[in-house]
Amino acid sequence: MLDTLLPILIFSALALAVIGAVRRVRLWRQGRPAKVALLRGLAAMPRRYLVDLHHVVARDKVMSNTHVATAGGFVAAAVLMILVHGLGFANPVLGGLLLAASALMFVGSLFVARRRRNPPARLSKGPWMRLPKSLMAFSLSVFLITLPTVGILPDGTGSVILALALSAVLVWGLGEMFFGMTWGGPMKHAFAGALHLAFHRRPERFGEGNRSTGLKALNLEDTKAPLGVETPSDFTWNQLLGFDACVQCGRCEAVCPAFAAGQPLNPKKLIQDMVVGMAGGSDAAYAGSPYPGKPVGEHAGSPHGPIVAREGKALVDAETLWSCTTCRACVEECPMMIEHVDAIVDMRRFLTLEHGNTPNKGAEVLDNLIATDNPGGFDPGSRMHWAADLNLPLMRDLGQVDVLLWLGDGVFDMRNQRTLRALVKVLRAAGVDFAVLGNEERDSGDVARRLGDEATFQSLAKRNIATLSQYRFQRIVTCDPHSFHVLGNEYGELGGHYAVSHHSTYIAELYEAGRLHFAPWKGGSVTYHDPCYLGRYNGEYEAPRNVLKALGIDVAEMQRSGFRSRCCGGGGGAPITDIPGKQRIPDMRMNDVKETGAELVAVGCPQCTAMLEGVVDATAEVRDIAELVADALVERPASSGSTRAPQPAAEEVTP
Amino acid sequence: MRPDTHDTAARNSGAQASAALEVAVLVSVGRHPVTGRARRADQDARGVELALALSEARVTLLHAGSLDEESESAMRGYLGMGLPALTLVEQPPGADVVPALADTLSDAQPQLVIAGERAEQGEGSGMLPYLLAERLGWPLVSGLAAVEKVENGVATLLQALPRGQRRRLQVRLPAIVSVDAAAAAARQSAFGPARRGEIEVQPAAVEWDEAQAEWSVAPARKRPKRLKIVKAASARDRFKAAAAKAEGAGGQVLTDVTPEQGAEAILKLLKEEGVLR
Repeated sequence: MLDTLLPILIFSALALAVIGAVRRVRLWRQGRPAKVALLRGLAAMPRRYLVDLHHVVARDKVMSNTHVATAGGFVAAAVLMILVHGLGFANPVLGGLLLAASALMFVGSLFVARRRRNPPARLSKGPWMRLPKSLMAFSLSVFLITLPTVGILPDGTGSVILALALSAVLVWGLGEMFFGMTWGGPMKHAFAGALHLAFHRRPERFGEGNRSTGLKALNLEDTKAPLGVETPSDFTWNQLLGFDACVQCGRCEAVCPAFAAGQPLNPKKLIQDMVVGMAGGSDAAYAGSPYPGKPVGEHAGSPHGPIVAREGKALVDAETLWSCTTCRACVEECPMMIEHVDAIVDMRRFLTLEHGNTPNKGAEVLDNLIATDNPGGFDPGSRMHWAADLNLPLMRDLGQVDVLLWLGDGVFDMRNQRTLRALVKVLRAAGVDFAVLGNEERDSGDVARRLGDEATFQSLAKRNIATLSQYRFQRIVTCDPHSFHVLGNEYGELGGHYAVSHHSTYIAELYEAGRLHFAPWKGGSVTYHDPCYLGRYNGEYEAPRNVLKALGIDVAEMQRSGFRSRCCGGGGGAPITDIPGKQRIPDMRMNDVKETGAELVAVGCPQCTAMLEGVVDATAEVRDIAELVADALVERPASSGSTRAPQPAAEEVTP
Repeated sequence: MRPDTHDTAARNSGAQASAALEVAVLVSVGRHPVTGRARRADQDARGVELALALSEARVTLLHAGSLDEESESAMRGYLGMGLPALTLVEQPPGADVVPALADTLSDAQPQLVIAGERAEQGEGSGMLPYLLAERLGWPLVSGLAAVEKVENGVATLLQALPRGQRRRLQVRLPAIVSVDAAAAAARQSAFGPARRGEIEVQPAAVEWDEAQAEWSVAPARKRPKRLKIVKAASARDRFKAAAAKAEGAGGQVLTDVTPEQGAEAILKLLKEEGVLR
């Protein structure tokens, strides 16, 4: 009897899955068109899955092995089951392999079940709690119905009732695994995830050591093109596909600084809200942690309805979007390679460019950037006042140098001026041929872009690119990772291609080349805070540590350091939009510092310096790497002969 | 125009005038105080904000001047506050814009005209609203903080006085009101509506500003400020001194006088102060 029943069951489950897949694809296709290399993407998908995705999953070894057993067992069992029971290739070899695959899957599902016994808060509950049972139902029933095939049990063992009961369990398993995969069950992540990897919005991020972190530019020339994302259907179709791939593991939630601070943002919930919006409906079915302070079930949306309402509630509240510090911790942790920050900035763009609704000081900062080219509204002619006594060489006078020192808006900040003076001292000690743009420099556009004001960003960027194009230099060095990121990763799309280095990278190189000499470190223990825009955005984790090592400092690492570094709270315009939470992000970071027992925290970013120094009753002093280096400088050994003039600018001035 | 002494009943009746209220806002090309770049003028933008806050108002923006890169960016700044169009009464540099604006306004017949107190560049005399009011024969209220309601052709206004004081006034429309920094700050100007908004150029007769040709123009110098000597004994007095706007110590309040007596008193004061000789 099973011989006739099984093919019917298997092929009707497959047929339903195909219908579900068509429906799902139509949901994604509501999004705007995107240029995607479809075939190349599909060809690259297995590698992206096995290498890039598993590289992230494998950060949790137990979960990684569980997933390999369950998913690998399932894929093998499903294919073999179709062959053996669906098409009737009932030979003992295939049957034996099927037994092995379903047994492997069963073992995996036991581990899934164990994780679901006391699940951490970051995991979603709801339908996900039945998943281990469904996995077991599928693997166990497939195992049992295959036993007669390989002859372990004779055909016709047991009664008709037993066969029917077994079939019922199999129907449950098939329902979850095939039907649920495309109709929206927990297994949806496999179907959408595989296609998401193939058609990813940033194919360049895959592969060893590659990263793609620059935001994509809006086309402002085309007056018909939408300014950011108003409705779920304003996302590109592959962004919608990406949201659908979310497996609700909550790793993003666990690392999100805004969530930890009690601000109304949870990256996982945000992605789920986008899925709700794409399909239409309310978020009441969501079974994970809510946005802090915002109960589930009060928001609803539709594919062509607004995500953020001008008044009242829609799918997401604006303050959720403005809580993000764009630190990319969620993107770094996401095993499904979802791009949360892109989505958030896309939605912010609409709020700023169309609604004109940047919260708190946002509007003032943007107005200042438009009127004075710096966020503080300072006189652009006073950019160099901090260096009145330094006699800094200007690009306008020299025209060509090795290193263009990009100062950033820190020139207006008295704290950052100390860092800049230290950096100038270091460069002069190493005899570097450098110059600054002086009053020709403008804000890089980082804050404007992250506040969603793409128009002001592009205006600033284009003028900066025009200025830079007049001069010749080997590379740009800056002590501001935000400028570093924007100049290096985001100006390219607008026609400005530069080699940019963070000052820590450059100092490390100067030291390697023997151009800097340090006195041994005499201070206490030191920890190092990785700035998001240096580390996660640009992959520079080593150089700052190498510099500290060269200074003779043994870094006491914080628990969250390197690619898992916790944000200082200063990125993405978050200090400007200033969404209230239960605690402040920099306070949490200084607590991390305190746990190491360090007396000093070395930083490499003016934002981090400002945020961390703003912490009251801090246990550690905050110093920029440039300051530490400048303090440790000693004259080079006399034998090497210092013939280089400390200020080459003076001789090279041309009328 | 008369001070409104009795109060809350009228305020709570709340309902706005039933028919759409025609509001024209006069906007100028502003100048950023630090960089001198063209922008939406702060006070004029507050005027636009005031108009947008009126429910059931039909707001039109009016700018008299010429269309060039600088003025366009400023005008788009106003459009970015969410208005679909702006009317540009075309006037070359050096023209007297008062006749052209007065003609446009008497044609359009708005019930309420809102202007900033003083332009951020050019003459910046602050005379424009007064000259317009004189020419059109409409009442003028300066230093407006809010329009509370408009009913049966009468507007209830809140006028800002020094030290945060407010005076409620009623004025029969049509009227001209001018706003300064006491009015609510302007909303953010957004790129999308600014780019979409249309600038409707409307040609107008040109009358040259004859007087201006005779003037010599020099960059402004910082004017010496009278030192404020604080002889306060208590914290409250010090706060009062710090928060005080310039205020005449003398002065007198005349009540129940005939217009002739009032005019006499004003004339006498102007002579005393040396304004008239």
